[in-house]
Amino acid sequence: MISRRALELATAVLTGSFGVAVVVSSLDNGIGWSSAGVESGTFPFLTGVIVVLGSLYNLARGALPGLTLASVPIAITPTELRRLAGLFVPAAIFVAAMPLIGIYLASAVYIFVVLAIPKHQSPMRSSMMAAATALGLYVVFERMFQVSLPHGALAAAFGF
Amino acid sequence: MENLQELLHGFNIAITMPHLALMVIGVLLGILVGVLPGLGAPNGVSLLLPLTFGMQPVSAIILLSSMYWGALFGGSVTSILFNIPGEPSSVATTFDGYPMARDGRPTTALATAFGSAAFGALVGVILITFLASWVAEVALAFGPPEYFAVYFLAFASFVGMGGAAPIKTVVALGIGFAIAAIGIDTVSGSVRLTMGVDELVKGVNFVVAVMGLFGIGELLVAVEEEFHARAVSSKIDWREVFRAVGRLPRHSVALLRSAAIGCWMGITPGGPTAASFMSYGIARRFSRRGRYFGTGEVEGIISPETADHAAGTSALLPMLSLGIPGSATAAVMMGGLMIWGLNPGPMLFVDQKDFVWGLIASMYVGNIVAVVLVLLTVPVFAALMRIPFVVIAPLIVIICVVGAYSVSNSYLDVVMMMGFGIVGYLFKKLFYPLAPLVLAIVIGDKAEDAFRQSMLMSKGSLGIFFANRLVTCLVVAGIVLLLLPLALQLGRMLLRKPALPGDPTTSQEKVII
Repeated sequence: MISRRALELATAVLTGSFGVAVVVSSLDNGIGWSSAGVESGTFPFLTGVIVVLGSLYNLARGALPGLTLASVPIAITPTELRRLAGLFVPAAIFVAAMPLIGIYLASAVYIFVVLAIPKHQSPMRSSMMAAATALGLYVVFERMFQVSLPHGALAAAFGF
Repeated sequence: MENLQELLHGFNIAITMPHLALMVIGVLLGILVGVLPGLGAPNGVSLLLPLTFGMQPVSAIILLSSMYWGALFGGSVTSILFNIPGEPSSVATTFDGYPMARDGRPTTALATAFGSAAFGALVGVILITFLASWVAEVALAFGPPEYFAVYFLAFASFVGMGGAAPIKTVVALGIGFAIAAIGIDTVSGSVRLTMGVDELVKGVNFVVAVMGLFGIGELLVAVEEEFHARAVSSKIDWREVFRAVGRLPRHSVALLRSAAIGCWMGITPGGPTAASFMSYGIARRFSRRGRYFGTGEVEGIISPETADHAAGTSALLPMLSLGIPGSATAAVMMGGLMIWGLNPGPMLFVDQKDFVWGLIASMYVGNIVAVVLVLLTVPVFAALMRIPFVVIAPLIVIICVVGAYSVSNSYLDVVMMMGFGIVGYLFKKLFYPLAPLVLAIVIGDKAEDAFRQSMLMSKGSLGIFFANRLVTCLVVAGIVLLLLPLALQLGRMLLRKPALPGDPTTSQEKVII
């Protein structure tokens, strides 16, 4: 279970660290005024500072119990978390597998796994849908629009 | 009158067989993404974007804008028949649309929604027809300081009127600006903010951000709740369609008021979602039958629908004449314009007359096409909703992955897209607004250029933003909007008025924006 407060704080920390990274990184480009005009780091530097300040404010608001907008103390219940993971984890593995086995194989396996393993569909129908997805991608992108999608290192090893 | 002549010329361009075919394709694809939860107009338009590179700009924009109309209509279908908003901007339609459909009047609800939506869109297009070229003419005299002031005003109005927590809006805007700055700086040519990743030199494409924020992010929000598509009958009774549309003029006050709210929110970048909620809230407050709202009131459908479409349409006005998109989808379209080699802004009205007036004329035709098609296809798309979400979700993931990859054949884009997905989920969950983030990514560079050019002109003095009456007015208006939330809060604290007891619309509003 994740409370609304924890989520607010985590997000504020996330945006804040992005802001800090922007500020630090833009200092390399130089900030302020030079003979050539406003230096290229200035604008990112300012936005970085704004993001950091805004995140600090959101952090404070999230931390102070009396001030939060949170009428709902719980942001994500365990059931919801399970559903989220059920969608995101396979998707992340799918993306991670893409460079290795290529998008066609990866998407077919992905569709099959998310449909057949939790028993949403029968293995037969799942494999049909998986094959149809890969084929559809190939026809639409490789054939119709001439967009080459990643074939993967595995396919390259076999000479495709 | 010159406008009307140009418009007639535009109709010559828009009403040709290939363009009508593109409208039909665009509207159907739009209804599809509008109906599917997790895919919305910004996503759909960015997915189509790479396919338009070989087209004439005017054909491309007709396809994309038709998709936008289709998505706006498609979102209402699922709101009314399934109580599931296909688009954030059609959430307010569920409040009265679904109860009416559930009570056995689905045709009335749908026809009322489409009729008022068409009216809202019509008002928006008429506004564009008469106002856009005038605004562009004024804007032709703009220099960099005026441009920066207009950008500033646009961003400030998000903060002041967007409806989300102001500081969260500011953070979203800032992040967008920083993302826009990644890559090669257009002025000095130096490389910025790549944090050591060489591939980031090319910058972060807004399509990648849109796919993640709106696609994966929305999917993650949607998967939390299990959808039960309890459909009401989706059969259309054609006689009732005409009867329902015929009854619309009785609600002309609500129609006109909602259209005005929608146009205002579309031009100042409040966007369709905020417009529909605001219009619904105001209608409930002013209608004599206000306390029946939520049980299937006709005006409860008319108000959000009219405002939604009026805002969606008029969001294209500032995009065309100033180069500032009024909604997330308009921002994506503007990105397209830049990719096609057009320069959004007043010069369009001088250099690209065919493009501008072809687009405006196509809005009239496209909305008619959309109304007809959406009525004809309601049963088909309603059947689509019966496909379980577990089957649709992985397909949408694959679509987003392919969409992000095909922008520049880069695997890093796919990884970033997934990252944006998490950000999109967190932001949606915690009511950070997404539209300003996308807007800042698309026009961040232009705003920065305008600022730096102004600084060059003034040799580093900020006084240039107060140098003449026009620019001073714009900047002051922007500052007022920025400080508006603060002033309201101070006012509330001084008056010590207790918070309004449980206003469901405002809490809903926060949830969505």
